[in-house]
Amino acid sequence: MEKKVLTNEEKKLLRKVQLRSHMCFLQGNMLNMQATGVTYSLIPVIEEIYKDDPEGKKEAYARSQQFFNTHAVPFSFLMGLNWAMEKEHNEKNTIDGKTIESVKAALMGPTAGMFDSLFFNCLRVIAGGVGIGLCAQRNPLGILLFILIYGVPQSVLKFIFVKMGYVYGTSFIDTVFNSGLMNAFTKAASILGITMVGAMTAQMVNVPLNIVLTMGETSLNIADVINSIFPGLLGVLLLFGFAALIKKGVRPTILVVCTLAAGLIGALIGIF
Amino acid sequence: MAVVGLKLGLLYAFIMWFDGRILSWSCLMRPIVLAPLSGLVMGDIGTGILMGAALESVYMGISSIGGATPADAPLAAIITTAFAVLTDAGMETAIALSIPIGTVMASFNSLCLPIWAGVAPALTKMIVKGEVKKFEISAHLLTIAAVLVPGLACAAAVAFGVEGLESLLAVMPGWVMTGLGAAGGMMMAIGFAILTSMIWSKEVGYFFFFGYVLVRYLGMDTLAIAILGAIVAATVFLSEKRTIDLNNKLEKMAAGGMTKEEEEFF
Repeated sequence: MEKKVLTNEEKKLLRKVQLRSHMCFLQGNMLNMQATGVTYSLIPVIEEIYKDDPEGKKEAYARSQQFFNTHAVPFSFLMGLNWAMEKEHNEKNTIDGKTIESVKAALMGPTAGMFDSLFFNCLRVIAGGVGIGLCAQRNPLGILLFILIYGVPQSVLKFIFVKMGYVYGTSFIDTVFNSGLMNAFTKAASILGITMVGAMTAQMVNVPLNIVLTMGETSLNIADVINSIFPGLLGVLLLFGFAALIKKGVRPTILVVCTLAAGLIGALIGIF
Repeated sequence: MAVVGLKLGLLYAFIMWFDGRILSWSCLMRPIVLAPLSGLVMGDIGTGILMGAALESVYMGISSIGGATPADAPLAAIITTAFAVLTDAGMETAIALSIPIGTVMASFNSLCLPIWAGVAPALTKMIVKGEVKKFEISAHLLTIAAVLVPGLACAAAVAFGVEGLESLLAVMPGWVMTGLGAAGGMMMAIGFAILTSMIWSKEVGYFFFFGYVLVRYLGMDTLAIAILGAIVAATVFLSEKRTIDLNNKLEKMAAGGMTKEEEEFF
């Protein structure tokens, strides 16, 4: 791949995304996790790319508000990549909105896993070991070393990652498009994306049904019966039920409120 | 006690905001940094440093991957350090208290989670309408609110003791906690449903169950599934590529071959 030189305009945007992508947990919540952080990181980029295209801007913002969750460090890489994809989507129409969604969904899970183990289970333990040793002797240097080993490198990497994601993302998309393989790539990305969505659903969605029928001496746990048919069947049905409602145009706000009410009422009458 | 509690509550809120939301390091909120800082606030940094070393060792193994925190390490660090500095309980007792304190605090925090999920769609509406400034300000204000609420709980816990907070949680009927927990697990399905309906197409939709089964039946982790998924995706990509290449070749042959034949014919 040829070396890409960023224009001054791009450099200015790059700096903004680098700083903004630090705030990936802005308004973090259980519904769309880091989506607000994604939107916040991409605002300067989307405003610039879709300056004269209000309809495209709307769609780009809607895309940025989808469920997103990864470790804070690769978050920056994915923001750089997302920037490249939005740019190519608007300027050359080489990549469609669905592919942008798929690529994000495909990459968030594995990057989260990789960097959780790298930072949380490795670097933090090293930093902790060094820090604890010194602090146990009342030496405040331990605190400083802990921050230097565990905290500061995250920011350094985040700065590098935004640029990497943008530069490599752009040239990758160009290469694929010029070879006429964009449709094949889109399909492949969708396969990987939806596979990861299935995996994450299995990990995180949970309908904690708790009904025990007692008939004479035997008792029957309904959740166990359902799970023995297909593990987590209720969660899958719930997900596809929600998806059908969303396709019909039901707003997510209503779904959130109903879910909350269902949880409370369910718990009150004792089915959870 | 109330003044110290308020100070510590604000310290907690500030660190959770600055380290958790602005830098996103999850580094300054670790007990090894936070305990000395709360020691500093109370005027006894020496005890703070020692408590930091001890608590960091306790909480080293308690991970919070995937968003579910079994015990709130930062709050436990502050409150436990406060106990060690302000009462004559001694450091060992304070450290022994830290896990139950962390657990109580974590369940208090999870009480608030549905609220932040509930307001998320309003933010989406704002940004899709193009109200960028409003979106940015709301996001920041909501974030500050989200750290101030547990900050106040921290202040209350120091001022009135953890028992006070515990009895407050006990007054709340059990079904509220259960219900909120159940709603939290189901709310995840909404986020994934939106994502699914964006990516879904008849041609690839069934791969949802590929990932699902790999987790549910085989218990694989995401990296392994991503590798398997990438292998499938690459196979599909290459076979599509072959078809496209073949098509291109045929078209070329059809166009090029015709002229050649015509040349020979004449």
